[in-house]
Amino acid sequence: MNPALNIARRELRNGFRHGLRGFRVFLACLALGIAAIAAVGSVREAITEGLAREGATLLGGDASVEFTYRFATEAERAALADLGEVSEIVDFRSMVRVGEDRALTEIKAVDDAYPIYGDLRLDPPQTLAQATAGDPPGAAMDPVLADRLGLDIGETFTLGEKTFRLTARIVAEPDNAAGGFELGPRTLILTEDLEGTGLIQPGTLYETEYRLRLPEGTDLDAAEENLAAVMPDEGYRWRDRRNGAPGIQAFVERLSAFLVLVGLAGLAVGGIGVASAVRAHMVEKTATIATLKTLGAEARTLFLAFALQIGAVTALAVVLGLALGGALPLVFAPLIKDRLPIPAAISVYPLALVEAALYGTLAAALFTLWPLAKAQDIRAAALFREAGGLPGGLPRRGYLLATGLLLLTLVAAAALLSGIPTLTLYTAGGLLAAFLALLGTAWAVRRTARWLGRLPMFQGRSSLRMALGAVGGPSGEAGAVVLSLGLGLTVLAAVGQIDANLRAAIQRDLPEVAPAYFMVDIQPDQIDTIRALEDDPQVERIEAAPMLRGIITEINGQDAETVAGEHWVLRGDRGVTYAPTPPPDTTITAGEWWPEGYDGPNQVSFAAEEAAELGLELGDSLTVNVLGRDIEGEITSFREVDFSNAGIGFVLSMNPAALQGAPHTWIATIYAAPEAEARILRDIAGQFPNITAIRVRDAIDRVSEILAGVAAAITYGASATLVTGAVVLIGAAAAGTRARTYEASILKTVGASRTTILTSFALRWAILGLVAGLVATVAGATAGWGVSVYIMETSYRFAPLSALTIIAGGVSLTLLAGLAFAWGPLAARPARILRAQD
Amino acid sequence: MAETILTLADTELTLAGNAGPVEILKGVTLDVARGETVGLVGPSGSGKSSLLMVMGGLERATGGTVHALGHDLTAMNEDALARFRRSHMGVVFQSFHLIPTMTALENVATPLELARHGDAFERAAAELEAVGLGHRMHHYPSELSGGEQQRVALARAAAPRPEILLADEPTGNLDGPTGHAIMDLLFGLNARHGSTLILVTHAPDLAARCGRTIRLEDGRLARNAEAAE
Repeated sequence: MNPALNIARRELRNGFRHGLRGFRVFLACLALGIAAIAAVGSVREAITEGLAREGATLLGGDASVEFTYRFATEAERAALADLGEVSEIVDFRSMVRVGEDRALTEIKAVDDAYPIYGDLRLDPPQTLAQATAGDPPGAAMDPVLADRLGLDIGETFTLGEKTFRLTARIVAEPDNAAGGFELGPRTLILTEDLEGTGLIQPGTLYETEYRLRLPEGTDLDAAEENLAAVMPDEGYRWRDRRNGAPGIQAFVERLSAFLVLVGLAGLAVGGIGVASAVRAHMVEKTATIATLKTLGAEARTLFLAFALQIGAVTALAVVLGLALGGALPLVFAPLIKDRLPIPAAISVYPLALVEAALYGTLAAALFTLWPLAKAQDIRAAALFREAGGLPGGLPRRGYLLATGLLLLTLVAAAALLSGIPTLTLYTAGGLLAAFLALLGTAWAVRRTARWLGRLPMFQGRSSLRMALGAVGGPSGEAGAVVLSLGLGLTVLAAVGQIDANLRAAIQRDLPEVAPAYFMVDIQPDQIDTIRALEDDPQVERIEAAPMLRGIITEINGQDAETVAGEHWVLRGDRGVTYAPTPPPDTTITAGEWWPEGYDGPNQVSFAAEEAAELGLELGDSLTVNVLGRDIEGEITSFREVDFSNAGIGFVLSMNPAALQGAPHTWIATIYAAPEAEARILRDIAGQFPNITAIRVRDAIDRVSEILAGVAAAITYGASATLVTGAVVLIGAAAAGTRARTYEASILKTVGASRTTILTSFALRWAILGLVAGLVATVAGATAGWGVSVYIMETSYRFAPLSALTIIAGGVSLTLLAGLAFAWGPLAARPARILRAQD
Repeated sequence: MAETILTLADTELTLAGNAGPVEILKGVTLDVARGETVGLVGPSGSGKSSLLMVMGGLERATGGTVHALGHDLTAMNEDALARFRRSHMGVVFQSFHLIPTMTALENVATPLELARHGDAFERAAAELEAVGLGHRMHHYPSELSGGEQQRVALARAAAPRPEILLADEPTGNLDGPTGHAIMDLLFGLNARHGSTLILVTHAPDLAARCGRTIRLEDGRLARNAEAAE
């Protein structure tokens, strides 16, 4: 048998006999990191699987064909009916009115075939037919909306110009995949009852969906192709049960990718614990290694032997981590299912576990290679000298290269598997920068502590000077604590700063520049009345634009997505406008706006940033499908469009002649004093019941709520990183117990009281915690600034509360961990300890 | 007759061992006068070092009494013992026992600081000069040779001018010439400051340099002999 294997086997046997004492922190750090990633991955897979299983229910059918503000024509209905059973849904925003009170609602008008899949649950329990029967017609409503309007069952309300009676509160809507992400709560009525409301007019913003129940065994691709053959270029959107809730799916994938990145940060923090543990282990093995070298063992044999030993412990950590990470979602399944608005099929997902195991193994290899390589350089002569750690300097070149390769592989794997490579690279870069900054800080702290300790002003203050001496002294404690805790706190600080700034941008800065109301569905004959509101002294200004919705189907005569790839501008329908002259404050970045009264071939002005992302150039031709009709135009100018201030912004604007003929409505933004908001709404809604007013503040609150949820999820993830940091910290505190017991014994011998010793211990931990907290705050603020300015393109303002929490947290954590292990050293009898060393 | 500085009366020490209690000191009674130099000798395991630790209050006697400078060490708590040592006792160990996170100067200054001497560092520096380590003041223990470390330990023990200096085989880990140099320093300090020196040693020549030699056998005093002067 290979001698390395024999050595590894004996070392392992010895390790197990002592309960893997030196490897507990190693196991905990690695297992925790792996568990966090495995758990996130498992929940992601559970949601994906849940969405897939419930795809038809969430979508409302096996397939769905969606039109933008039009109903299907007779021919189209016939084509759809050829595929299977059809149910028609109309979806749009409007205002519910109860007396003088008004609220935004999302109206869903259905036929009696609804729902094709799943069950509509109402309170009091009844069927859809029962709920919608009567005169005035019945309607069901989201309880939130009914409560806001103070509506009880049996009471009436108005939609547009028609009265409805509340018959039920909606308990569960099977096809509500958005899970409450909409702006307005739901009102459910029958489509036939829309008649007389005056809400659906030419140009009104509404969508119709035709849900299909396809015969068993229907090939979905074939069905899609068949329909495309019958209804070419009709400007509809096909979706089927294989991806019933694409928005949610994308959101979940994004969020979980981000959480995996946070998990990787946790693994990096754990890596420091792993590296410290292996270093300590190798230092302990100095005599063994020196003896084996004396007996003729080669460096390579020894490296292999200890690598095998560490490898076995890593395997154990992976198993523990996967077991924990796989089991966590199962244990918390009821809680997860309860909290999620979407179905999750909680189970064990091997793919998620494999991903976590891959990260864990790579991280373990990365962080153990260095101390293992250094241990090789221990010389046989170490037996005859007092060993004070591993040899200094860099490991051999091969190991440096291998370390670099491992790091690259880990980052590449994360970039590839996360699906957000740019963000992964930024995160990896940020972590590496934070790591180096913390290393530099640890070095600087030691130098400073040493320098301070020698200042006359600190002489005589024995506890403080002893603390400074310990921080600045040659033990590796300062480095390990500042690195592990600092990195954990950095992740949390960065999340805190980004979250605080994002929320501030939305809640504090946006309302300052955003309009009070966004009004949609304004009929052309109503726009002048709306514009006249500008004379109101409490109205600052009004912006208005005609609005149509269209899908960009082709670029230069070829399928748009084939030419430009996936981009939000090409996904679904977009607002399209027209204008004779550039609106005020428009900046044309290239080309020229059409002359006033232009009547030639259609021209398009496109948003400059989005055009660059799509690779569009001046002279390119675009085909936009508006109401089933293809409108082609040539891009003749690019202009700046700011989407950040909640004002009117259109990606696509055309010359009036191109679109004027199509039925359309106007949208308007009203900038007004907050105290005038209620009155303006009352006036407009009273005069024009068909107009839908979206209060921007409500929308901002809704977005803030969603963001708060996302931030909470990420903070939980980041907290896992801090837990790993705390484990490393506890490990460092525990590992230093022997040294501190020894130190305390000597101090007692030379006359130090227990209070003096305890104060000195507390001070040293507090100093390290403070430093870690401060560095984390600076690093977190830097990350927050970078993300705010470059990714979210908002201004950055330092969030002091988050920073203070981080610093206080750092100090408390180190103090707690340190003091928890202070009792042993304090209680030790000097004679026993000092004689044991003789 | 010189004043008695240390009195042990029927002192016992029993420690808990894996196989039951182990009697280490079985009733030791002795007096040490101020300024005396006493050599504690005896075979390994006879209890010499334990006796020294009991004298220094580093180990608590389980029976009998230990009085030093009129204080009953067996009645004092841990902190009171520390304060007592701070002002009256210096201890030197075989393994030097310097604080690894402190430089030589800081190690020597620590007991002076603890005793609230305003000039702790000046005195520590002078003490290191006196043992010939003026050029090594800012070195950490790991950067010093064994002989140098023991000289720092000597300086640390002597710096507060203790009335009693306890040394537990101070040359046990050193080679011959270095050991001799250390002993010269130790006896020199003792002579210069007039302190009482109690020394545990295996070396007959070292024991012979002491004014009195006490032999321990199996936890009991075997002989109480005045060395020939």
